[in-house]
Amino acid sequence: MTARSVALPSNIWPPLIAALLLVGMWQGLASLTEGMFVFAGPVEVLGAIAGEGSLLLRSAGVTLQSAALGFAIGNGMAVVLAGLALALPRLERLISGLALVFFCLPFVATGPVLRVIFGVGEGPQVTLAALATYYTTYLCLLVGLRATPASWLDLVRSYGRGRFSELIHVRASASLPYFIAGLQIGAPAAFLGAMVGEFTGAERGLGVLSIRAMRGLEVDMTWAIATIAAAISAVAFWFFGWLGRRLGAGPPPLLLSPRREERKSLGFGALDLTLVVIAVLGLWIGLMQAFNLSPFFAKRPQDVLSFLVADAANRDVLLDAFWQTMSLTVPGYLAGLALGAGLAVVLVTQPRLAAAALPLAIALRSIPIVTTAPLFVLALGRGPAGTITIVAVMIFFPTLAACLEGMRRTPKAVLDLFATYAASPMQRLIHAQLPAMAPAFLASTRMAVPSALLAATTAEWLATGTGMGSLMALTASTSNYNLLWSAIMVLAVTASLLYALVRLLERHVLKTFASEQLAT
Amino acid sequence: MTSFKLSRRSFVGAGLGTLGLAALSPRLLAQETKDVALQLSWLHSVQFGGSYIAKSKGYWSEAGLNVALNPGGPNAPVDPAVVTGQALIGISAADYASASVEQGAPFKIIGVAMQKNPFVIASLPDNPVNTPADLVGKKIGMALANTPVLQALCTINNVDINQIEIVPTQYDAAPLVAKQVDCLLCWQTDLPVAMAIQGVESVTMLMADHGYAVHSQTYIATEDSLANRRADLVAMMRGEVRGWNDYKADPKAAAALTLEMYPDQGLDLPTQELQAERQVPLMFSELTEANGFGWFTDETVAQNVETLGLLGRSVTPDLWDRSILEEVHA
Repeated sequence: MTARSVALPSNIWPPLIAALLLVGMWQGLASLTEGMFVFAGPVEVLGAIAGEGSLLLRSAGVTLQSAALGFAIGNGMAVVLAGLALALPRLERLISGLALVFFCLPFVATGPVLRVIFGVGEGPQVTLAALATYYTTYLCLLVGLRATPASWLDLVRSYGRGRFSELIHVRASASLPYFIAGLQIGAPAAFLGAMVGEFTGAERGLGVLSIRAMRGLEVDMTWAIATIAAAISAVAFWFFGWLGRRLGAGPPPLLLSPRREERKSLGFGALDLTLVVIAVLGLWIGLMQAFNLSPFFAKRPQDVLSFLVADAANRDVLLDAFWQTMSLTVPGYLAGLALGAGLAVVLVTQPRLAAAALPLAIALRSIPIVTTAPLFVLALGRGPAGTITIVAVMIFFPTLAACLEGMRRTPKAVLDLFATYAASPMQRLIHAQLPAMAPAFLASTRMAVPSALLAATTAEWLATGTGMGSLMALTASTSNYNLLWSAIMVLAVTASLLYALVRLLERHVLKTFASEQLAT
Repeated sequence: MTSFKLSRRSFVGAGLGTLGLAALSPRLLAQETKDVALQLSWLHSVQFGGSYIAKSKGYWSEAGLNVALNPGGPNAPVDPAVVTGQALIGISAADYASASVEQGAPFKIIGVAMQKNPFVIASLPDNPVNTPADLVGKKIGMALANTPVLQALCTINNVDINQIEIVPTQYDAAPLVAKQVDCLLCWQTDLPVAMAIQGVESVTMLMADHGYAVHSQTYIATEDSLANRRADLVAMMRGEVRGWNDYKADPKAAAALTLEMYPDQGLDLPTQELQAERQVPLMFSELTEANGFGWFTDETVAQNVETLGLLGRSVTPDLWDRSILEEVHA
């Protein structure tokens, strides 16, 4: 405690300056666009919060409650799934595949279905929050549970202890930092999920207020809601970081000793793929039967198939929308990755900047896109720039965080060596830090695939009225549920395939350059 | 009686989760009431003011009904809620309902709250759209999904839709205020009201005044309910009619009641009062004066069938069923 308070004065300036700069820029932007009903500055936001304080507080409480419950359930699911995957290595591919497919289901489509299943209440909000969080935590845990040097496991075994002790004493503690990272990434996602859940028909909450504010041209209110949601997410981010440090979870160590060879395999085999497809179809039909969902809106795989086969016009509508969406998703995805990795490199070479820029990045990421997507599109003209920006903003922060973490894990011994030889910062970056960053960067390229599609379809649904997002939202007026389920299927398959492709690429790179990092 | 007990239990189950035990007032538990739901088409607002009056004045509980008013939203399913029986009646519109029927939903329209379709073309006074012909050469902001609506308006009024530039926008007045578009396709009762409250004057052209006849805010129920739950349907609609008659007498009171009943919706009184006032001419006409709230005739149905045909909906007058209203107004 004393050490920290002594260190405080020198560290407090960069974040403080950053915060002031941020507020200044924000206010400037708001003044520039006055009369356009796009931005509200900090002054207006404070005014709105002061004016509607108790309403905002109650609504935030309602949404936070759904989000927290969903967050707990989602992360609990992640722990169970990761435990299962570890305990039953044969089933790991299947579990991972299923987990991915469910994570790729678009909110705009799952929301109404959940509302019909749960009826009135918080069911959809909680479920969407859980769905939004479980996958990233699951992935982090999977890496963490594996991130154990072979020597530790040998030690446990040489004492004659079994897998259970291994799990408790070695794997659990090794995975803690990764688990914490998963919780940090999941917090804003859970809040977003809860807000989108409210769009399916809720009595109260921040999501409800944001719809109202948007349609009522209440820009101050919209930004007040966005600010509160961002603040809650940012507090959750810092809280879990603090919790991690309290629990002694430092940054995850970089493993220099080789991992135990667990199983030799090249990515997803044909058998794994078949199993996943069968399981998805089984669950699709099984869940619909189990909940006795009406065939009017709950279309089964055979309905979707005959819909797509029966009429070429159906396929054309779907494909048109699909390409429209992909043409926005891919540039946004690439821009977000480049921005995240690029900023990470800048921040590592300029550590002073890092303290200032990180809070800004966290704040940006925590603003729920459902409130700001229409504003982004409006502010950037009506062209593709708006949607691309939204996609980039959604994925740049996880990439930045992962890359920074990766570079931080550059072994001290290696850095010392560079220092001994008086290597330039550039040499250090290229030969030591970038290779250390590579695995983390590649992992985030993979995790960003579903997020990018989610961001693009959400923006299309709420703001631009084009592409797959709008096509799915249209169902409310056309009741063309065959089209909706076809769209869900196409998006889930696309996300899964792209994910698998990126993973193959990742494995290839890692196999060549950093074989000890092949964790998942 | 078993089925009644079941529905009571499921209500209590849902209630525990949402309302909390405190909200289940002793009055509800003591009386022998039937739980039914009305699925609204949007978030709570004075748009459903008549229903709020019916609930708060006990027009339904007198008839032994405990009506839950389930809110809608931008991503809320209305038709599925009625198909699955979660809601006895849903608030839909003739175009939505006919699309559902085409997809196999066994719906009938049993009443029409909005006699005139609320769609307008909203523009700013310095560049106004007063007639469909004014649309030529303009940029209109709307959801692409509504292209058939614009197409129908153009066909009815002999305007070439290719001479109008459609800009896909979100449902929000900001693009018009920011002058990214010249006009917007929206409802008479929401975006123009929002602009007026923000001090932005606008011009609105009601599409219903130019031949666009599509019943809106219609009450839908399944054929099964019409056959087997007539008494409940009649009681529900009777409450609605009484509520909306009260609404017409005093729209401002309905606005105040909306705020009182739903304090967490972020509603403000001036907006609700203006909206309440602006929807009166859409809901009440000579037809309803003569026959009562919600009424429709073979003639208005025929006009609807024609416009819906322009929207690409193949629909017959069978979609409408006036028997419940006839009992209510008898």
